Amino acid sequence: MTTMAPAAGPSEEREQDVPASAELAVELDRVSAYYGSRRVVREISLPVRRNAITAIIGPSGCGKSTLLRCIDRMHELTPGARVEGRIDYHGMDLYAPDIDPVAVRRTIGMVFQQPNPFPTMSIHDNVAAPARFNGLLANKAAENELVERCLRQAALWDEVKDKLKAGGTSLSGGQQQRLCIARALALEPDVLLMDEPCSALDPIATLQIEHLMADLKRIYTIVIVTHNMQQASRVSDQTAFLTLGDDRAGFLVEMAETVEIFTNPKQQLTEDYVSGRFG
Amino acid sequence: MSRSASLAAERLRSTSSARRARERALEICAWASLVLALVPLVAIGIFLIGQGVRSLSLEFFTSDPPGDLSATGGGIRNAVVGTLMMTGLATLVAVPVGIALAVFSREIGGRVAAAVRFVVDVLAGLPSIVVGIFVYSLVVVATGHFSGYAGAVALAVIELPVIVVATDELLRLTDRRIDEGTRALGMLRWRSFLSVFIPTALSGIITGIMLAVSRAIGETAPLIFTALGNNFFTLDLNEPVQAMPLLIYRNALNSAFPAARDRAMGTALVLVVIVLGFNLAGRWIARRARPADQR
Amino acid sequence: MTPGSHAGGIRTLARRPGLSQDGWFRLALRGVALLVIVPILWMMVDTFSVTVPVWERFGIPGFVVGARWAPSFTIYGALPFIYGTILTSAIAMLIAVPVAVLIALLITEILPARARTAVAVTVDLLAAIPSVVYGLWGLLVLVPFLRPFEQAVAGTLGTVIPFLAGPTPGPSYFAAGVVVSIMIVPIIAALSREVFAATPRLQREAVRALGGTRWDVIRTVVLPIGRSGVLAAIILGLARAIGETIAVTMVIGNAPKIGASIFSPGFTLASVIANEFNEANQELHPEALIALGLVLLVISVLVNGLAILIRGRFARGVGRVA
Repeated sequence: MTTMAPAAGPSEEREQDVPASAELAVELDRVSAYYGSRRVVREISLPVRRNAITAIIGPSGCGKSTLLRCIDRMHELTPGARVEGRIDYHGMDLYAPDIDPVAVRRTIGMVFQQPNPFPTMSIHDNVAAPARFNGLLANKAAENELVERCLRQAALWDEVKDKLKAGGTSLSGGQQQRLCIARALALEPDVLLMDEPCSALDPIATLQIEHLMADLKRIYTIVIVTHNMQQASRVSDQTAFLTLGDDRAGFLVEMAETVEIFTNPKQQLTEDYVSGRFG
Repeated sequence: MSRSASLAAERLRSTSSARRARERALEICAWASLVLALVPLVAIGIFLIGQGVRSLSLEFFTSDPPGDLSATGGGIRNAVVGTLMMTGLATLVAVPVGIALAVFSREIGGRVAAAVRFVVDVLAGLPSIVVGIFVYSLVVVATGHFSGYAGAVALAVIELPVIVVATDELLRLTDRRIDEGTRALGMLRWRSFLSVFIPTALSGIITGIMLAVSRAIGETAPLIFTALGNNFFTLDLNEPVQAMPLLIYRNALNSAFPAARDRAMGTALVLVVIVLGFNLAGRWIARRARPADQR
Repeated sequence: MTPGSHAGGIRTLARRPGLSQDGWFRLALRGVALLVIVPILWMMVDTFSVTVPVWERFGIPGFVVGARWAPSFTIYGALPFIYGTILTSAIAMLIAVPVAVLIALLITEILPARARTAVAVTVDLLAAIPSVVYGLWGLLVLVPFLRPFEQAVAGTLGTVIPFLAGPTPGPSYFAAGVVVSIMIVPIIAALSREVFAATPRLQREAVRALGGTRWDVIRTVVLPIGRSGVLAAIILGLARAIGETIAVTMVIGNAPKIGASIFSPGFTLASVIANEFNEANQELHPEALIALGLVLLVISVLVNGLAILIRGRFARGVGRVA
């Protein structure tokens, strides 16, 4: 695994006062999400540990993806959608009025269920473009270095290094997804959100992504939403189990170390879900 | 034969004679309609080629028409150049404005955008002569004289709705996933449009532009009282300027004279070739792009 | 250097004072929209103000219903031209609508898939031909061609029905109607084609599974579902017919009165403006012509607006049309 060389860029934006041993990257505090007047996520409080993989599991439609999208302020893009509660990121509430949501999204990256590389850009440009647009690159050399670094981190470099100019959509599904991961990493996010990243992929590609996640967590913090319990038990360090309440809103049933959730859950609901009795 | 069997036989039998004859008749009518519609197309083609070709010569393209339309000789140089200049200028203005309006409609949305869209739709349906009147009031009266600029403005107004509608349709087809992808990366909106959405829609936009141009090149009515026409060659758009459709019109009004007839037909042939060229090229671009879009 | 060093730059998450870049973008877009729409609206207002003396002289109803058009006497009335517009459009629609709808059905329902695009494009080519070329061909070829037919009708039915009576000088409402019909067939056909192609596959198959023929499918499913869409297509064809100028002015005979029969020469709103504007130096003549333009504008906006409305209803009902 290559070490992260610092990318050229406005270094004055980087302070050294980030406590390297900070335990939590993000902390959700009684977060609720609404579509209009309808609440779909109910008062979820959830700590996300740094340099770990946190999995959010639960039956379909219980608001897992919605919750994830609250973290990088994507939920509010839907007309009428809003969020209540606090999401703490390094002591700041991401939903404070003086926070720029666009900036939040550059700091907290997201990978979607369906790979969505930019269709008119090459592999190289797909990775480089967002960084380029944000002025993080000083010159072409820095750009090439960034592209290689991110593609290596996404375990895609060896497969595409000879065809960086090929179209982003000329790759297989699994490769496209890794390309999207590389693209998200190019912005050097702190946290990477992954919304069912493997559900559109075949089993081999899925395994590749899971291996990738294990590597990535050494550098990044990852939150993954998955409906695949086996996947959650394979990759994650902590697991949060959500389910639909009687008010048709998702709520947090239980959250603990992954091993605990799957072998010794404290709640009956959790026990029922992980043993396959419902969901 | 049992009751159900005879009923079945009855039903099988009833798709015959009367019904089939009626349907055959309808089908014949449909084919006849197609032939009927294509006859003028072929007729015009024969007419133009048959009668127009003999007017074409080097002189036809390199000299200007005579002042007296009944006189033979001369050419259509000023008309060709005039058409190119005015249409070129009109397109140069209409394309960025049209794309901007479509982006506006997509990005801002809401009732304001709906109102703008409505104005554009109305503009699209306006008779081109009404457009000519508008531009006459706005430009010719204000500047005090007819000019190629006024003609270009009129053509731009005619091209604009075509480009807006084409661009809007294509932006509407933008994959939601790509849009979300740009937002999740924190890309600025103008950047997203410039680097992602518009390039993806590009070939469709080009088709729209080519169709708009092919329409503008053939327009006569709006030019009658804006550019007016000119017997002489000029590169100055501030003067009245000649255009091919105008030339055809004026010569056609004098078609009692064979020289004017021939001139009109030669010009018409050239005009149709150019217009159809743009039209077909635009469609070809659209067809080529489609398989990639259906991903 | 730790990644997410943006984390260190928490301050960069904060909003800058004033507009964000996205905010500027939106403002610029609004500016462009304003820059375009305002002059267009201004043009309309300006044009209207030019015509005020005409309304003052004749009154709005007086002008619209006035049947005399005599520039040398400073008498202006729009009726002959409104009549001509309605008559030529009616003739054009009568011919074009059945032809266009049948062609659309032929293309979407009967032709094999391979032939569809080629035939559709060929029909669409009719729409690409400039109006002035139609006028030229109409004048030199079609009008002489129609004359024997006109004379036959005038000689027979025309003796009983004055509306169809002679004389048949050639250029006439009828000739203009025929030329315009050729021009609007491709428009109605193209839009109807889209409407028919949008018929849900499920419905088609349902009819087939019940033993229906292709025409059963058309009768039971395609036409009923596509009803409002085709109506919108027809109205758009009408809008185009109303506004057709140059081709009409070259074959309609240019007589500023209400002709007695369809074979008489006449004028439409659009064609009279094109014809008389450049030599209009009598008193109030140009203003009156522009006033005619406004009448045409109003009619056109109403018809187009109707088409947009109906199209919207169709789109909501089935799914997208163009």
